[in-house]
Amino acid sequence: MSRFLLLMAHSIRRARTMVLLTGLLLAAFQVMLVFVARFIANSGGFEQLTALLPPFARELMGPYLTSFMSFAGIISAGYIDLGVLGALVAVVVAIGTVPAAEVESGFVDLLLARPLPRRWIITRSILVMLLGTLTMLTMMVLGTWLGLEWLAPRTAKWPTPKLVLSLAANLGLLMLSWGAVALAVGAVSRRRSVASALVGFLAVTGYLLNYVARIWKPARSVAWLSPFRYYAPFDLVMGFSIPLQHVLVLATICILGCAAGYVLFARRDISH
Amino acid sequence: MPAISIRGLTKQYGKQKAVNNLSLDVEEGEILGFLGLNGAGKTTTIRILLDLLRPSSGTAAIFGHDCQSDGLRARSKIGYLPGEMGIFSDLTGRVVLDLLAGLNGSPVDRNMRGELQDRLQLPDSDLRRKLREFSTGMKRKLGLIQAFEGDPPLLILDEPTEGLDPLMQEAFYRLLADVKARGRTVFMSSHVLSEVDRVCDRIALLRKGEMVLLATVEESRHRAARRVRVWFSADVGQPPPLPPGHEIVRADAREWILNVEGLLGPLLGALAALPVKDLEIEEPKLEEVVLKYYRGTPE
Repeated sequence: MSRFLLLMAHSIRRARTMVLLTGLLLAAFQVMLVFVARFIANSGGFEQLTALLPPFARELMGPYLTSFMSFAGIISAGYIDLGVLGALVAVVVAIGTVPAAEVESGFVDLLLARPLPRRWIITRSILVMLLGTLTMLTMMVLGTWLGLEWLAPRTAKWPTPKLVLSLAANLGLLMLSWGAVALAVGAVSRRRSVASALVGFLAVTGYLLNYVARIWKPARSVAWLSPFRYYAPFDLVMGFSIPLQHVLVLATICILGCAAGYVLFARRDISH
Repeated sequence: MPAISIRGLTKQYGKQKAVNNLSLDVEEGEILGFLGLNGAGKTTTIRILLDLLRPSSGTAAIFGHDCQSDGLRARSKIGYLPGEMGIFSDLTGRVVLDLLAGLNGSPVDRNMRGELQDRLQLPDSDLRRKLREFSTGMKRKLGLIQAFEGDPPLLILDEPTEGLDPLMQEAFYRLLADVKARGRTVFMSSHVLSEVDRVCDRIALLRKGEMVLLATVEESRHRAARRVRVWFSADVGQPPPLPPGHEIVRADAREWILNVEGLLGPLLGALAALPVKDLEIEEPKLEEVVLKYYRGTPE
């Protein structure tokens, strides 16, 4: 096995429990959502549910309300849920800040005292992050599909495979962009906790900014700074495609974050 | 070609110079003890050799390969024991050794590992345990095995006997003697002066980032004053004026005690006319020299 693959295998082994457990939880959550959607559909409660929503929530959701108050809409909500987003961001931030953890523990001293290029540390983290995100989202999509197969009423209109895959792809790109930010911060940090806390703070701020901007006009002028703005689940549920501009912005964040990770890690002094 | 060649190396953090204009050659096949108090710049120098830190100015090379611009080749020649083994505690000793051996540029001889395990008394049953169950000494042994098992031409060891019991220290000294006999070079930092005295060919002493002494252990020892005691068979007066380097500690009627730096000739000349009964010359200890440099008062 080549030395890079050995390093990869080691890093995957270290991340696998966290990734698989999160993936299982997300898959189970999707199954649960199908169960909930079946219950509402069987009791004919989508109209009643819409009526129960407070006015501000209706205003917030606007034209998306009708789409979400459906069998397919409830299931799609799993890809928007704050808990799901939080879990996925936490995992990619944990993977992205591995270089900082290795500097903090001194493990990177043992790695780089060997003839390994520094860029391998970053490349390894990017690949593990890609694999981890892909694994978790695949499990989530599988959970959606299994839930539908087992629990969906025959008369219910399933979300289309295109919708589920588009939601997963857009969510994956959003997660990778946060992972890239975490990688850039982790590449220059001495403490993983500091790097994780900083990226966590940025993520919460970005999430809130995106929501506040929906209801408070002054915030709209800075909302473009939030990566969450370029995650368009509502448009997807309405039947639109992911706006290309959104994909490009998230991809650019990914590329810039990774590039910053390479440059910062290559130039830094490694001391703990 | 020197195993390590350092020229005008400086590492500056703001206004603070951790290492200041350090120049040093470590010849192939020698064991060099790198001494200094905490914060003297030893670890900074070692980390520059490993390209973990980037120098503010100056160069460092290992077997002719620049540590920064040709770092991969330079590091392919090194076995490194860090001061603290930064390893995730949920890994077993075996996993750590296999991973680190696999990441070496050259293949590791399994027989060599077995021999090291035997000598350092770290059996397979211990290697199957997770590192959180390892004692400090066991982690040190693991660190020594990973550094030595590739049989690299240059070993860089940071406080190698820290945490080892006396028996294992002996085993380590024998290991050093073996690698030296095979022509390997060792660059080791240490606080244990008796250990340096015993195993090192030369010492380099850093103080506040600057090298204040570079000499063989023997030469270093001679930089300290020898203690001379003279007994007389009859009462004698006060010692005559002696050249610089002679310090009279005590002068009784029948016994003098002097500290003598340098040659003993002038003193022996002065004693020739006196009724000397006995003479004792105490060899200086390396500790005395080093402590003098540590205090910043070398004469």
